[in-house]
Amino acid sequence: MTNANSQGISARRDRPVSAHASHSKDITAQLSSTLPDVDVSSSPQPTGTPVITFDHVTKIYPAQPNKPALNEISVQVYAGEFVFLVGHSGSGKSTFIRMIIRELKPTQGHIYIANEDLSTMRNWRVPYLRRNIGCVFQDFKLLPNKTVFENVAFALEVIGKSRHVIKTQVPEVLRLVGLQDKLSKRPDQLSGGEQQRVSIARAIVNRPPLLVCDEPTGNLDPQTSRGIMDLLERINRTGTTVLVATHDREMVDNMRRRVIALDRGHLTRDQDRGVYGFDV
Amino acid sequence: MSSFFYFLSESVKGFARNLSTTLGSIVTIFLSLLIIGIFCIGGFVVDNVVKSVESKVSITAYVSDGASESDISTLENYISGLDGVKSVSFTTKDEALENFKSSMTSNPEIVNQLDGQNPLPASIDVELSDAQGVEGIAQQIQNSSDFQSVCDNPSNPADSLRYGQKTVEKLFTLTNYVRYIGVALVILLIFIAFVFINNTIRLSILASRKEIAIMRLVGASNNFIRGPFLMEGALHALIGAVFAIIGLELLRQFAIPKIQGAMQWLPINISGESYLMIYVILAVAGLLIGLLGSTLAMRRYLKV
Repeated sequence: MTNANSQGISARRDRPVSAHASHSKDITAQLSSTLPDVDVSSSPQPTGTPVITFDHVTKIYPAQPNKPALNEISVQVYAGEFVFLVGHSGSGKSTFIRMIIRELKPTQGHIYIANEDLSTMRNWRVPYLRRNIGCVFQDFKLLPNKTVFENVAFALEVIGKSRHVIKTQVPEVLRLVGLQDKLSKRPDQLSGGEQQRVSIARAIVNRPPLLVCDEPTGNLDPQTSRGIMDLLERINRTGTTVLVATHDREMVDNMRRRVIALDRGHLTRDQDRGVYGFDV
Repeated sequence: MSSFFYFLSESVKGFARNLSTTLGSIVTIFLSLLIIGIFCIGGFVVDNVVKSVESKVSITAYVSDGASESDISTLENYISGLDGVKSVSFTTKDEALENFKSSMTSNPEIVNQLDGQNPLPASIDVELSDAQGVEGIAQQIQNSSDFQSVCDNPSNPADSLRYGQKTVEKLFTLTNYVRYIGVALVILLIFIAFVFINNTIRLSILASRKEIAIMRLVGASNNFIRGPFLMEGALHALIGAVFAIIGLELLRQFAIPKIQGAMQWLPINISGESYLMIYVILAVAGLLIGLLGSTLAMRRYLKV
């Protein structure tokens, strides 16, 4: 995994520590010197700079002015974390995800991705933001008339990568997701789990520091879902921050990672090594 | 540069994707540009004709057979002293007959019926430097006592003056009408071409909306997403323009000489430079229509 190391370094270099962040770190240092010691091992200190910062974010859709999709959400996700975003349908998970890739803008509050404020970001910069965020969806979003290789290569083609880069990087990432034998298959010749692997491969082929997944196992059986989650975990170990929105209770309970719970637009729980926790 | 070829291949794929609308938009652009081109050529021809008619606008003052030479030369001096007169020349009775005979070579029997007599009067031909002033000068000649004493028909001096004012005026109103109709037709056709391109690009965008969604997702820049559609519109327009230019060139090679042969009195032939200019105008106009049409379609159907 030499690739992993270089990726971690480049990811850190991409996001320089801003004055604001270092200032808050100083304050944290002062505070921690005055506070009594706590058991650090039970709640591992988040390290590095926040990759995602939600600062009192409210999103109100025009269709439902009295029912905010997200209400005063403040949360931070740090580099290298693996975070579950859980909640019932309509709790605001997808809104959360779509605001990270700036498909939506918050009605109030600010979202920072690697210290860049999305609400003041110019439109022409948005594509460059998205090049640094891999996206995986429940419905895979693969092109049916392209092969596996072409589907993954498409993501590099359209951001102007050279043919040489495509030829080396695509087989590598397909080996990582375990599809090295199916390069020339079309999506309809693959199983659901394999299709999702292709879409994950496409999301990480450009080596983004952040990977967001909206219900990646939504229509897969438990066995296959487990495989997908293993893959996401492996990607996380290479230094990529992973955010997974899901309502797969078993998965969340098994993996014991940080859990952010949303309920009807409110942040109800933010717990390290958490469980799904909702009564179904 | 590599993305240029990517745009090109994508837009060619777009052709195959909805062939019928593509053909439709190419044909409408072809027709509108062809008609624009024909009107341009028509405009040049009319300009030519008007110029030649204007240069021929002259006043002919008929002089009675009995007028003395000194009276005539006094009148000539008077007329050439008027403002706006370019030259004055005298046509004798015999010369007038010769001119008449040479203009009637196709029907010699009319000449034969004259039986050797010469009913034509001598005349003073006045060439003008400006066609617009013809009325005033004719009036001045008519009012001068010199003319009234020598004119062919002393009871009504106006009858002895001939000038082409009415012809020119009629020609002007006619060409103005033709121009208005042409402009209206061209605007209508450009509008139709616009709608067609708009529609074709819209279908193209709809057909590839999955690709567009993924391109957005993985961070393709807006220009990269738009490029193929812009190029598609431009290509349609350019192909239409090329066909229109070919059509006009064929017209110039085969139809114009025949028309010229049938109507020799009309100076239809216009210079090759004018044709070249028309072709360039057509290509540029087509490109503009294509680019604007697809930009409009993208604004409405391709939010990035």
